[in-house]
Amino acid sequence: MEINKFERYWLIAVGVTLGAFIAATIVAVTVFGIRLPSPVERVNPQRLDQTIFASPGVRKIADNRYEAVIVAKSWAFNAGPEAGSPPVLRFPRRSQVTFYVTSQDVMHGFQIEGHTINLELVPGQVARATVNFNRPGEYNIICNHYCGAGHHVMYGTIIVE
Amino acid sequence: MASITLPQLTEVPATPGTLKLVQRERLMIGAHIITAMLALMSGIFMGPFQAFHRSPTFIQYFPTIPVFTYYYQAVTAHGVMNALFFTTFFIIGFCYFVVERSLQRPIKSVLVGWAAYALMTIGLVIMLITILGAPQQSAVLYTFYPPNIAPALFYIGLVLLVVGSWLASANIFLTYRDWKREHPNERVPLAVFAILVNFIVWCVATIGVAVEVLFMLLPASLGILKTTDPQLARTLFWFFGHPLVYFWLLPAYVSWYTMLPRQAGGRLFSEPLARVAFLMFLVFSVPVGLHHQFSDPGVSASSKGIHTLLTLIVSVPSFMTAFNVGAALESAARNRGAKTLFDWPFKQKWGDPVVAAQLAGMLLFIAGGFSGLINASAQLNATIHNTSWVPAHFHQTLGGGVTLTYIAILYWLLPAIRGRALFSKPLALAQVFTWLIGMTLFGLAMGEAGLQGAPRRAITGQAPYLSPAAAFWLDMTAVSGVILMISSVLLYVNFFGTLFLSRQPAPAGEVPIETVSGDRTSPLWLERWGIWLGALGVLLLIAYGPVFAEVLDFQEGWNILRYMPTSNAPMP
Repeated sequence: MEINKFERYWLIAVGVTLGAFIAATIVAVTVFGIRLPSPVERVNPQRLDQTIFASPGVRKIADNRYEAVIVAKSWAFNAGPEAGSPPVLRFPRRSQVTFYVTSQDVMHGFQIEGHTINLELVPGQVARATVNFNRPGEYNIICNHYCGAGHHVMYGTIIVE
Repeated sequence: MASITLPQLTEVPATPGTLKLVQRERLMIGAHIITAMLALMSGIFMGPFQAFHRSPTFIQYFPTIPVFTYYYQAVTAHGVMNALFFTTFFIIGFCYFVVERSLQRPIKSVLVGWAAYALMTIGLVIMLITILGAPQQSAVLYTFYPPNIAPALFYIGLVLLVVGSWLASANIFLTYRDWKREHPNERVPLAVFAILVNFIVWCVATIGVAVEVLFMLLPASLGILKTTDPQLARTLFWFFGHPLVYFWLLPAYVSWYTMLPRQAGGRLFSEPLARVAFLMFLVFSVPVGLHHQFSDPGVSASSKGIHTLLTLIVSVPSFMTAFNVGAALESAARNRGAKTLFDWPFKQKWGDPVVAAQLAGMLLFIAGGFSGLINASAQLNATIHNTSWVPAHFHQTLGGGVTLTYIAILYWLLPAIRGRALFSKPLALAQVFTWLIGMTLFGLAMGEAGLQGAPRRAITGQAPYLSPAAAFWLDMTAVSGVILMISSVLLYVNFFGTLFLSRQPAPAGEVPIETVSGDRTSPLWLERWGIWLGALGVLLLIAYGPVFAEVLDFQEGWNILRYMPTSNAPMP
């Protein structure tokens, strides 16, 4: 099977392009520490009261390090009584927060504006992600997975001080 | 629908490349194409109204948008009708036509062909009734993930569509087998080669959704099953969901590779590499579904990495297509007097709607291809996942490249079916260019809004969290909706005009379908399907074996489907 000279050049260019994409992915993982969600734990969505999700909220675990436990349900995020509804979470600048989120009913989404956190909340699965908040400002938490008629009003806010 | 009576076609001289449909073909192919266009009509006009719902400014001035008041019902109808029913009917009708013409024999069984059509049409009617009759309960969108469960009829409509498409696939495979027995040492024409790849991909991919619907969703909907597993359902759905997009794309590639060169006045650059490209689609288009699940908590990052790599590989045949078809278009322009390095894109038949629609589709598809490479890059997913960037992407590919190519096919095939000339060529051209402008703006606006955090499929016009930048781009989306609505109206004026108002006889000899393969250089082993299916099987085992082991969670014993939803359908 003969391959034309120009077509060969083209295929080499394609190879280089895709090589660059693959290299970018590897750099993102190794240098910038971007991680995709991986299995953490399974929970029974009807028995969340027997898990860490029994008392949602924010806990300080070290200097500038926090853990946030959040339960999504139609159509609100529950981040504990202190955060209110829709929840408002406050973190100081340069804090690192690990989110543990799950859904107690249908599929939901969990995206924080301007940050690299974007989780599918699958009932029965615990989603975990760690975020660094370096820039002061207000960032919305948006449910970005269709969850029924009230989907578009399901949100929360993070304030970085 | 099929009840439109088709008049006897005036016989035209049977010169090579002449389009002459016998009555049997006209009925079968006409039924599929016309039903496809009616399905599209019931979905396409939902689109602009969705764009209006998503625009804060529009909602401010028109708080209650008439006609389609429930946004999520419109999203469901738009997705199910356009992406599942329109495409499947159109592809089957078009592929019957190409197979019959290329192999110069009727499809294996006309009876099975009609049985398949009947099943799919019943499925279509059931689906429409369900979506219209139960707007809240059936608003599960075209991805229908549990624990949102639709009425059983929703799934029955899907089952009928898929089973009908399997019968149609078998019909095409058996037609090829009969041809191959009579021509053991011949290469099958490229168009049929591609169609065989397409239906193999379809049959493998639909296994995933068939298992999901038959063993999880339908029993849950009927109340037989009380539990489900959303993570397993998503994995099964995307086993189907990504190859599905190649099922849409490959028929468009058939047109670009085997028809457009002649329509544009050139010739294909390399047929052997076209075959290699299609075989790459066969092997690599299924084991890539996890790139839709990068954000899923229940699937390990290592499997996602493997699927990232495979997704980048499956872009190679599209790059090969860009070169091959691009070179064919260049040869066409040279024949028409193009001289310099960069004048050949302009020396195309931009005044011929059949060619212009495909060229416009390619422009959109190039944008869609690059936005797709971004989607496939795992590390960028967190920026765009479930934002309006994603519908921007697939409106450039499916709504742009694929649909405009189907429209190009419609503009020559419908006159042949009806036996009358296209109702209006200027209207067709206006339709193509308004579509190109509207979809370009749509892609830009939705993409930008997505980067500003606007989620996909949400009534963002009423959302409390939109940033001003996102709001601006969503308003621009509504503008593109107006342009695309005009384009859609033009499309259907021409469609019904050709069916009912056109008086000119159909022009003869316009359809460039190869009847024999002029290709003597492609190795015959490219047609050893067993090898390629084996390669696909091995790759599936590597790419999906660990994923299903993980999702089914065998470590804790056989306890799948253990999750009990607390609420069923999305309630108002």
